[in-house]
Amino acid sequence: MPLSPSLNIAIVGAGLVGRLLAYQLSQHKLKISLYEANRLNSHTPANQLDAAAFTAAGMIAPISEALEADLDCYYLGTTSLALWPKIVSELNLKNAAQIHYQQSGSLIISHPQDRAELQHFSRATQRLANTTGAAFTALNGSDIRHLEPDIGNGFEQGILLPDEAHIDNRALMASLLQQCLKQEVKLIDDTAVEIDNNRVLYGQNRHSYDWVFDCRGIGAKVHRPELRGVRGELLRVYCPEVNFNRPIRLMHPRYQLYLVPKPGQQFVIGATQIESEDRSAMTVQSMLELCSAMYSINPAFAEARILEQNTNLRPALNNNKASVLVCDRHISINGLFRHGYLVAPAIVRSVIHWLQGQQCQHHKILFSTLEHP
Amino acid sequence: MQHSDTLTLYDTSFNSRFLLGTALYRSPTQMSEAIKASGSEFITLSLRRQNPEQSDGDAFWQLIKETGCKLLPNTAGCKSAKEAINLAEMSRELFATDWIKLEVIGDDYNLQPDPFELVIAATELIKRGFKVLPYCTDDLVLCLRLRDAGCQVLMPWGAPIGTGQGLLNKYHLQSLRERITDIPLIIDAGLGSPSQAAAALEMGYDAVLLNTAVAKADDPVLMARAFSLAISAGRSGYLAGLMQRRQTAAPSTPVLGQPFWHQQ
Repeated sequence: MPLSPSLNIAIVGAGLVGRLLAYQLSQHKLKISLYEANRLNSHTPANQLDAAAFTAAGMIAPISEALEADLDCYYLGTTSLALWPKIVSELNLKNAAQIHYQQSGSLIISHPQDRAELQHFSRATQRLANTTGAAFTALNGSDIRHLEPDIGNGFEQGILLPDEAHIDNRALMASLLQQCLKQEVKLIDDTAVEIDNNRVLYGQNRHSYDWVFDCRGIGAKVHRPELRGVRGELLRVYCPEVNFNRPIRLMHPRYQLYLVPKPGQQFVIGATQIESEDRSAMTVQSMLELCSAMYSINPAFAEARILEQNTNLRPALNNNKASVLVCDRHISINGLFRHGYLVAPAIVRSVIHWLQGQQCQHHKILFSTLEHP
Repeated sequence: MQHSDTLTLYDTSFNSRFLLGTALYRSPTQMSEAIKASGSEFITLSLRRQNPEQSDGDAFWQLIKETGCKLLPNTAGCKSAKEAINLAEMSRELFATDWIKLEVIGDDYNLQPDPFELVIAATELIKRGFKVLPYCTDDLVLCLRLRDAGCQVLMPWGAPIGTGQGLLNKYHLQSLRERITDIPLIIDAGLGSPSQAAAALEMGYDAVLLNTAVAKADDPVLMARAFSLAISAGRSGYLAGLMQRRQTAAPSTPVLGQPFWHQQ
């Protein structure tokens, strides 16, 4: 069912989900207002924006992530993997600034001391592949160096997950916003708002809409008391000496560390995962762990320049799964946790289908309803 | 004959002999379900990599409190007595408990406890009114020193943390149990499978503490249940009195009436 152009929609929160939803709905020629608490002008450095989408590494890694989560995460992720190329090529046609999107797989490696973690990962991958047909290849040391000549010696076992992808998340965020503005999405930034069912409130303003989509992440706590922030720390470095073709995941007893190549010889290395809502700067311990991981993959990183150290809170629900909660006219999309780029396109597509009165394949795992009080 | 068989640690009684850690689960929901399935009443948590000064909306702490279990904060990651003492004081304030699992690590490679710093920290914390449960090696003299310092529970390792190697030095662990009979001993760390936990209880250990073996299982909830059953089995086995091992076979039924070729 086509959406009626008379629909008046508010989207609160211009993070990844908010922008993607605004962009995709704007193609249906609806009247859309996009609210954002931060100021969104080109002078705001990306790492000073609150949305986790800016600091994220931008991996679309359904297998790697499902092993630490569950099958729902895998299915949402594979749907997103199928959707991203179309979204990116559309945006790249419309905007001069190009988004780098690459589906060249991820490489999983471990130090000899952490081989047990790699074996655990390998066993879990095999099991996932048995259920889903997911592709993976076991690698030896020479396979690894053939794929990534810049990985140092000492890594003799690995796994290639050939279908996984990664995206230049900052270029994407900028491109999405630019397209929204071109499509006449009304942007109200630098404005923190409250939501009361179908109304958006700030200062003396009371605006009513047909639907209000609440995409505020951790900012939506007042409506979702279960929501918690999970601290993640990342570094962004510049290193002209090293080249990688794909994200590298390094096994670690507490969390998977990853090193993701970005345009301009930049790399993002992350991420810690700490149960705390502390947003203060990176700890020395985390800095040591991230830097030594990077250095151990290639000692040339010793001369890399640290461009940014970022800390952000991933919005998570108790089961660490994404959820779309419908409460009359207020639709809350939240809990994307560490899976923003992995699940956002699948979620946005489900939400648009729902708005059109259809149920898509992921409806059951995403949607729940709350009676309006 | 049914005894009430409770575990008493510093004058507090527990029905469960399973102490479970709260790290490494895939989600808080899974953690809560695993704790429930384990029947554990006493759970450990680490303060180390958090920022306790920021108490604003600490949703994760809240979830842990909602399990209804008694909390045992630990000093994971500390490498000196001084660090451990400071962290213990912070934990006491934050969690309003004077119980502390004392961990002072002496070696980064196998996370082996530092026996020297451990005794210093234990002595000081007990003076300050803490109920100290030290994570220690299976060295008899170290254990005696910790007991002399006033620890009323000792927690020797089965194997290094997170290795899943089980009871590596059964001889040491057995002599510890035989020499130290007046206070509870808990196997802390290194257990990988339920049968290893059962073996610890059969040997007369009072309880086990573990985390990774459950949290990193493919199905942590089922694994928590498996450990719980193994711990009960091991404890019952110990209470029932294990038979003595013998060198030669002793038939359980008389063999006199059997034809001779059946006796070969």
